[in-house]
Amino acid sequence: MRTLFAAVAAAGLLAACHEIPQDAAKPYAGKEDVKPYAGDLFKGDRQKFEQALAQRADHENEYLRTGDAKK
Amino acid sequence: MARMKFICDAERCIECNGCTTACKSEHEVPWGVNRRRLVTVNDGLPGERSISVACMHCTDAPCMAVCPVDCFYRTEEQIVLHDKDLCIGCGYCYYACPFGAPQFPQAGAFGLRGKMDKCTYCAGGPEENFSAEEFRKYGRNRIAEGKLPACAEMCSTKALLAGDAPVIAKIYKTRVATRGKGEQLWGWAMAYKGSDKVSDNLGAGA
Repeated sequence: MRTLFAAVAAAGLLAACHEIPQDAAKPYAGKEDVKPYAGDLFKGDRQKFEQALAQRADHENEYLRTGDAKK
Repeated sequence: MARMKFICDAERCIECNGCTTACKSEHEVPWGVNRRRLVTVNDGLPGERSISVACMHCTDAPCMAVCPVDCFYRTEEQIVLHDKDLCIGCGYCYYACPFGAPQFPQAGAFGLRGKMDKCTYCAGGPEENFSAEEFRKYGRNRIAEGKLPACAEMCSTKALLAGDAPVIAKIYKTRVATRGKGEQLWGWAMAYKGSDKVSDNLGAGA
């Protein structure tokens, strides 16, 4: 009986200790956006688009750009 | 799938305002609206630091959660954008945002607010890519051109990094590991990666 009471009390006390989803799944009510890779430049090729962005991001790394990463 | 983010390296930012100017110029942002701005702490004192702040395109964006008209959406690249045709300019997002990113143009007399404006990560908005309408409402769409935001690409010291989160985190990590910390951050050795001259290495050896 005591164990049961302890278990119920523990469950009650810990009820607020779980992770609540912070980002409520709210529907977007606006216009549909066109995919950035849908145009003439990438012709719907998402991989090519992501590659172009990754290449640009790599260019921000001057250790790579100057060849110092190899040293 | 890419998860586009910004990182500002406070050790590198020289408060040149190149990012804010690039943003203003690229998108022809109206007077009074600052999609990106510089925040400086301990201005003029030793240990002064500056950081470039704009919308951080949060993973759990609070603006998105509080918007009463649900005008926010997230692109495949995890960029947080909004539909200006739906926005009512209530300002809830401004109160929710920890970075003060949402901006409101003064639309009339007596402080009347216009529709919210914020950093789009140079990804335009829910209009046809490269259309005049998209440019008028949201600015240029560099992402659709395969380019990164103008502010980061314009940054002279590359303090502001933009790109896929793991990529820019790796760049930042390499920097921190290379440059060290504390005293090592100062002087010739840090700026030019060491020198053979004894006089230049006196500080580093101390």
